[in-house]
Amino acid sequence: MPDNPEKIIEVKHLAKNFGKFVAVEDVSFDVFRGDVFGFLGPNGAGKSTTIRTLLSLIKPSKGDIKLFGKHLGENRNYILRRIGSIVEKPDFYKYLTAEQNLKIFARISGATVSNSQIHEMIEFVGLKGREKDKLSGFSHGMKQRLGIAQALIHDPDLIILDEPTTGLDPQGIIDIRNLILQLKNERNKTVLLSSHILSEIELIANRMVIINKGKSLVQGNVIDLLNARELLVTIQVDSTEKAIQILNNSRMNLVIDSYDANILQLQISQESIPAVNKLLCENGIQVFSIEGKRKLEDYFLKLTHV
Amino acid sequence: MFWKSTYNEFIKIAAKPRSYIGLGAITLLIGIVLFALKMDGLTYISFITAPFEQSLSFEGNLLNGNTMAFIILQMLIIHIPLLVALVTGDLVSGEAAMGTIRLLLTKPISRSSVLFSKYLAGCAYTFIIIVWLAVLALGVSKVIFGTGDLMVLNSDGLVILQQTDVLWRFVSGFAVAFLALVTVATLSLTFSCFSENSIGPIVSTMAVIILFTIIGTLDVPIFDRIRPLLFTTHMAAWRSFFEDPLPIKEIVNSLVVLVVHCVVLLAIAVYKFKHKDILS
Amino acid sequence: MKLRKSLFFILLFSLLSSFSFLIQTQSPNTIINGVYKKMMKAKDYSVQATIKVDLPFIRMMPVEAQIYFKQKDKFRVISKGIAIIPRQGFDQLTRMLKDTTSFTAVNSGSEIIGNASTTIISVIPSADTSDLILGKLWIDIKQNIVLKSQLTTKSNGTILTEYTYGTQVEYGLPDNMVFTVDVKKFKIPKSVAADINNSKKADSKADKKKGKIYIKLYNYKVNKGIPDDIFKK
Repeated sequence: MPDNPEKIIEVKHLAKNFGKFVAVEDVSFDVFRGDVFGFLGPNGAGKSTTIRTLLSLIKPSKGDIKLFGKHLGENRNYILRRIGSIVEKPDFYKYLTAEQNLKIFARISGATVSNSQIHEMIEFVGLKGREKDKLSGFSHGMKQRLGIAQALIHDPDLIILDEPTTGLDPQGIIDIRNLILQLKNERNKTVLLSSHILSEIELIANRMVIINKGKSLVQGNVIDLLNARELLVTIQVDSTEKAIQILNNSRMNLVIDSYDANILQLQISQESIPAVNKLLCENGIQVFSIEGKRKLEDYFLKLTHV
Repeated sequence: MFWKSTYNEFIKIAAKPRSYIGLGAITLLIGIVLFALKMDGLTYISFITAPFEQSLSFEGNLLNGNTMAFIILQMLIIHIPLLVALVTGDLVSGEAAMGTIRLLLTKPISRSSVLFSKYLAGCAYTFIIIVWLAVLALGVSKVIFGTGDLMVLNSDGLVILQQTDVLWRFVSGFAVAFLALVTVATLSLTFSCFSENSIGPIVSTMAVIILFTIIGTLDVPIFDRIRPLLFTTHMAAWRSFFEDPLPIKEIVNSLVVLVVHCVVLLAIAVYKFKHKDILS
Repeated sequence: MKLRKSLFFILLFSLLSSFSFLIQTQSPNTIINGVYKKMMKAKDYSVQATIKVDLPFIRMMPVEAQIYFKQKDKFRVISKGIAIIPRQGFDQLTRMLKDTTSFTAVNSGSEIIGNASTTIISVIPSADTSDLILGKLWIDIKQNIVLKSQLTTKSNGTILTEYTYGTQVEYGLPDNMVFTVDVKKFKIPKSVAADINNSKKADSKADKKKGKIYIKLYNYKVNKGIPDDIFKK
């Protein structure tokens, strides 16, 4: 990343209440130009509420939102002109054709879009030959493609996708993933992508934030957060007390994360696992199982199972 | 952007099947009425002349296109509001139900502009309904029955308006009827801003019209003060153009009441729409 | 000489008195026959009419119409617009007068109308089944024309008609007619649709029991021939 990269999205201490229900309590994150930014959280964490707030579908109760360096409240139209988005599943006018739907949204996108551009976009998203068909006959995947078409038709700088792979078959998921990478690499777009699936974010995002119960918890580069070199290793032994004593007396500088009667959790690199195993066994500790997970993956799994 | 949005809204109205229900219903109803009057219109007309027929004889083309148009307007004008609300009540809530409102309101156009463009398209649809009604009621009636003087039976007596003096009255009457229907459209649009489904605003609009009409016709002193303020009381203002002399003061009063209703309802709709959180 | 003059004047006076006595003592039927004969001179006529209505509960502008008549009883009013005429029509008098056996005519006095002296003839129908209850005619016997008529019928109530003559007096055809109509039974049905101005003042003429219809007749074409087709509706 270049020095002083341009901030496309700045969210500071965003909060949203619906009556007594707190949907978002305190969310903060930044998205830089060129990012594919993962917005990760379990279902009900407040992702959709946050995204709807960014797109001015919802008014925040508290907090500050800036996009392209401008406050959203006072520069709504300027900002939205530069954003393309899909919020949840893309819904269109069933009684209109794909082409008519695209024209409807292109007309109010803030850009001048020609008929040829419409047809190019339809071809780009793989709907060539279906443009004259009414939306009532479209599958979910086809609607998703058309959703991406309407998000891109006016050549926006920022694309916001809220759970874009929901309901898609494996091929559809791959197509969306490739499309996002293409947008970043070939068209230099900034993408904010929300999901509740870590692996999905991991594959395409370079930066991410995790939120839960309306609060942002962790933010940073994906590689740093999901550092494969450090794992959370769970070892099942006959006596954790004795095992801890042995590990502490060794010169391995291990970090003991947690323990109970028979389970010991260590933060160690993958390369250190055999050495730890050997140390314990040589000192009379019975090792029943060793399981290694990345810290963040475990962390996120705990979140989603709460 | 506002005009582009209005064009979009008009395309949507034109593409919806329900938009043609109103036009079809008017065509069918007027067709039936004209057929019936062609078969036995003189019996119907005698209702108008009956109070005078012991002493007087009415000569000339009594069953003419102008009289038919007036009869049709009287019969249908109470049913047309439903046909208008069917479309205008769906303008906002229909998008919420369909989910398209999410896409629509993430575009760089203010919510007020979106709402006004929907309102304008709704008014244009209402205008088409009134024009179609006029073409069928007046135009087709004149082709079938010919032209002639218009007999209007009011509560204070019979007014016979000469055929050369009738067209401007019909045009003015239709214009006022259009304003009355625009008031209905505004009411249904306002309800639409509060609802997430199509049926609610339509049923609510008709419920309000029925309730206000009942209050308006109940001869109970307790309602005397509010009756002149109800928009339903003034929905028949078009009829005032067929009186002689023209009750200018009453007509202007009706226009003011209807316009005030439109302005107030629209203000409520704009406020709600602007501040609404889009959760659907 | 003086005696001859006196005798001459006495004779003249007697002759004139006898003559006027003769005239005055014409029977009512004779008077009516005289009127009828005059009316029959017009075998057919067409005339333009301006019809103006002054009736409670009715408001309309004056209407132009064309009226056609052909003996014995063909009568038609053709107007571009809607015209209101008394239910009896214009030929009620002719129809009534043609059969002198159907009524008894009685001399009921005299009256001055305008500059004319008229004999009042009452017409009482002979049969109970007749629609006419009572008729009264003010006849100028010098010209054999009716200046006023009052006809009371079972079906149409009482209509008083005043006639003014001009160009067609030789045929007994008037230039102006004023009908005074009984309007007690005019009642507007309550189920009149949606009249929002219900609260406004009622027609100021509504309290009147009588109304008038003014008919001005001009451009007579008498005995020019009228095809029967015109009388078919």
